[in-house]
Amino acid sequence: MRALILMLTLISFATSDQYTFLINKYNKEMELEAKIIANIATLATKGEIKLFIPNISKVEKKVYSKIFTLVDKCEKSNFVFVKKNIKIDPKCLNNKRLFFTNNYKKLLNKDIYFGAFFWSKSRPNIVFIKNRLRTKKILLPKSYNKFIEDF
Amino acid sequence: MKTFFELKDSHLLIIFAVIISFILFLLLLGTIKLEENIEKKMIQISTADLKSIVLNSAKSIKETLDKDKNYVEQILENRNFHNKIETNLETLVTQNIKYAYLLYKDNRGVFRFLVDGAKGLNKAFPNQKFDIDNKKWLMLFDTKAPIIIQNKYLKQISITYLVPIIQNNEVILILAIDFSIKKVKEINDIISIIKDTIIIVIFILLLFLFVLLIQSKRYISVKQSAYTDKLTNVFNRNYLQEYEEFINLDDYIIAAIDIDNFKLVNDNYGHNIGDKILKQVAVIILKSTRKKDDIVIRYGGEEFLIFAKVKRNDNLIALNVIERIFINIQKEKFPISNKSNLDITVSIGVNLQPAKSKNFEEAFKLADKALYLAKDKGRNNIQIYNENSQVHDDNKLSINEIKEALDEKRVFCFYQKVVDTYTKEEIFSEALLRIRKKDNSIAEPIDIISSIKGTFILRNISKRVLKICFERLRKNKTMFLNVNLNSQDIKNDSIIKLLEKNAFLDKDISNRLGLEIILNEKIAKDNKVKENLLKLKELGYKIYIDNFGVGYSNLHYLCSIKVDYIKIDGDIIKSILEDKIAYLFVKNIINFAKEADIKVIAKHVFSNELYEKLKILNVDYCQGFLFDKPKSFDD
Repeated sequence: MRALILMLTLISFATSDQYTFLINKYNKEMELEAKIIANIATLATKGEIKLFIPNISKVEKKVYSKIFTLVDKCEKSNFVFVKKNIKIDPKCLNNKRLFFTNNYKKLLNKDIYFGAFFWSKSRPNIVFIKNRLRTKKILLPKSYNKFIEDF
Repeated sequence: MKTFFELKDSHLLIIFAVIISFILFLLLLGTIKLEENIEKKMIQISTADLKSIVLNSAKSIKETLDKDKNYVEQILENRNFHNKIETNLETLVTQNIKYAYLLYKDNRGVFRFLVDGAKGLNKAFPNQKFDIDNKKWLMLFDTKAPIIIQNKYLKQISITYLVPIIQNNEVILILAIDFSIKKVKEINDIISIIKDTIIIVIFILLLFLFVLLIQSKRYISVKQSAYTDKLTNVFNRNYLQEYEEFINLDDYIIAAIDIDNFKLVNDNYGHNIGDKILKQVAVIILKSTRKKDDIVIRYGGEEFLIFAKVKRNDNLIALNVIERIFINIQKEKFPISNKSNLDITVSIGVNLQPAKSKNFEEAFKLADKALYLAKDKGRNNIQIYNENSQVHDDNKLSINEIKEALDEKRVFCFYQKVVDTYTKEEIFSEALLRIRKKDNSIAEPIDIISSIKGTFILRNISKRVLKICFERLRKNKTMFLNVNLNSQDIKNDSIIKLLEKNAFLDKDISNRLGLEIILNEKIAKDNKVKENLLKLKELGYKIYIDNFGVGYSNLHYLCSIKVDYIKIDGDIIKSILEDKIAYLFVKNIINFAKEADIKVIAKHVFSNELYEKLKILNVDYCQGFLFDKPKSFDD
C-alpha cells in the first residue's frame, strides 16, 4: 500500500505542470498567438526582434517576454503588434518599423499593417497583404502563400 | 506436519487474485468503451434535430439560388440573395449553435466566406479568407455528403457540421455549423455522472472484494485454529472430518496411539499434570514424525492418530516412524514436580494397509482393533493389524515383547551341529536365535522375525546373537560356529564394525565364525552388500549361502563373492527321495560346487535313507535331526 501511495505521489508530481492552470491564469491561446507572431516576426525582420505591444497587459507581458525582447516604447522597437483599438503615435510610424495587427478590419483599412493574426469562428487565421509585403520587402517562404491575399 | 488447507488456500488466493485482476481489467476496458459509445450516441441524439434544421436551411439556400447560374457569383453579386441567406443563417444561431456560415473554395483552394450568420463585429466579410483547422473539411468534396467533425482543440466549438450544397454534381457551397461547447458540455456532464457512477460502483465493488479478502483470510485463520488442538498443537478431529476425503489411504499407514493408564495419571496427579503429559507426548510425536509427510491428529482424550507416509510402497519406513514414537515416549521422563518424574508408555495399533478398507472409518477401526489387542496384551506394546491374523497369532511376539526380551537378556541361542557326511564328525555348529518368553516357553525365529523385519530391533537382535557367538568362541577355542545374518545386517555399519572389531581383536575368532546369508535379488544387486561380504571374507569370516535352491539362486554371484559354502534348502533335500527333478537339481549343484571349490551342506537331513542318498551324491556336510537337534550348550 505504501509503495502504491508513493508511486501515485511521484506520478502526480511528475505531471504537475498539466494542472498549473489551477493557480495560474489560463493562457494557452495567448501562448499560441505569441508563437505565431514570433514566427512571422522572425521571417519579416532581420536581426534581433524588439517587440512593442501598445497597452500591453500583465499576462501578455509574461507570455511574450518568454519569446521576445519587449520594449516599452514604440521608438525602440522594430516590430509592433497592435492588439487594441488605439491611435498610434505618429512618431512611431516609419518605414523601417513593421506593424502587425490582430484585427482583420484594421488590416483592410490601414496600410501600415502588412498582416494580421486573428481568431475567426474560434479558429486562428493569418492574412498577409501582397502589396504591403512587397513594399516592406518582406519575403515569406512558399508555405505562407496560402495566407497571402492580393487586394 | 502436512497442512492440506494451507496448500489449498494459497492456491485459492492466487486464483482469486488473478480472477479479480482480470475482472477489473475487463471492467476498465468496458468503462472506456462504454464512455465512447455513450458520447457518440449522446452527440447523435442531441444533434439530430439541429442537423435536420441545418439540412432544411441548406435546401432553402439552394432553392433561393438559380440553379443554372453560378451559386457563388449569384450571392456575391445579388444583394437580395445575400440578405435572404444571411437572414436564414442568423435564425440558425442559437444557444447551441455558435456559428452558421456559408463558404466556398476559390481557385487557389482557399476557403472564403460568402454569408455569415454572426452579428456585429464577429460577422465575416464576403470573400474574407477562412483558414480551416482540419483536413476533414476537404473530404467533403469527395464524399459530397454532410460530415461531422469533432473539435478537440478548439476552445469554444465542440462539433462542426458541414453540409455541401451541390451544383452540377460539384460541391460549390458549404454550409458550416459550429455547435457551441455548451451542448457538448451538457453531454459531458451526463457522461461524467455515468462515469462517476461506474467509478463509485467499481470502488464499492473493490471495497467489497477487499472486505471479502480480509474476511476470507480471517476465515482461513479461524478455520486453521478450529483444526488445531489448543492444548497439544496438533490437528484435532475437525481437521480429520474436513479433510478425510483428501487423504489418500494408499499413501499412509494408520497408527492409533493411546497413552497407557492416563486416567490414573489424571486421578492421581490432577488434570494439570495430565495436560502437561499430553502436551509432552504430542511434542515427542511431532519430533518423531516427518514434518512434511506425516499427519498427527489428537483423536480424543489421550488418543492420537498418526498417518505415516509410505514411500515407494515400502511401509517399513512408516512403521519405523511409529516405532520411533513408541521408543521415544518410553525413553522420555515426564516431570510431575521438581523432583519426581513419571514413566509414560503408550499402546499402539497399526493398520499397515488402510487402502484395503473401503474408507477411512473402516481403516481406522482396524488400527483401533490392533490398539485394543495391544492393550489386552498388557499395554506398552505395538500391535499390527493383519488380515492374515498376525494380530491374533498368540505365538508371535510383539515388537515390545522382543524389545523387552532384549532388555531383559532373554535373547539366546540354540546350536545345531553340522557334521561331515562320511565321518559324521562335527565340523561346526549353527547358532539359532531363540527368545525365552515370560512364561518360560521358547520362541523360534518364525515367531520373532516377522514382526521386526526391516526394523532396527531386528538389527539389535542380530548384534545380540553375534555377541553371544563371539563370547562362545572366546570361551571355547576349538569351536566353530555359524550365525545367520540378513541383508540389512550386512549393510549395517554398526554390525560390520562389530565384526571388524572382533576380527582385529582375535583373528582366530573370525576364522571360526561363518556368516550365513540368504541370497535374494536385493542383496545380489546391492554393491554395498557385495563390498562388505568381500571385506568380511578378507577378515577371515567364511561366507555361507543359506537355503540355496529356493527363491533367488544366482551362480554368478556365488563366484563373484567367492562363497565358501552353500547350504541347500531343506525342503529340496527332503524331496530328493521322491522327486527326480529335485534329485537332479541337487546333484548338479553339488557337481557345480565341486568344480567351483565350494563346499555343500545339506539341510534337514532327517532319515538314514536320505543320508545314504546324499552320501551317493557326494555332499560334503549334513545338518539335521538325524545327527543333532538344536539345543543350548547347557543341555
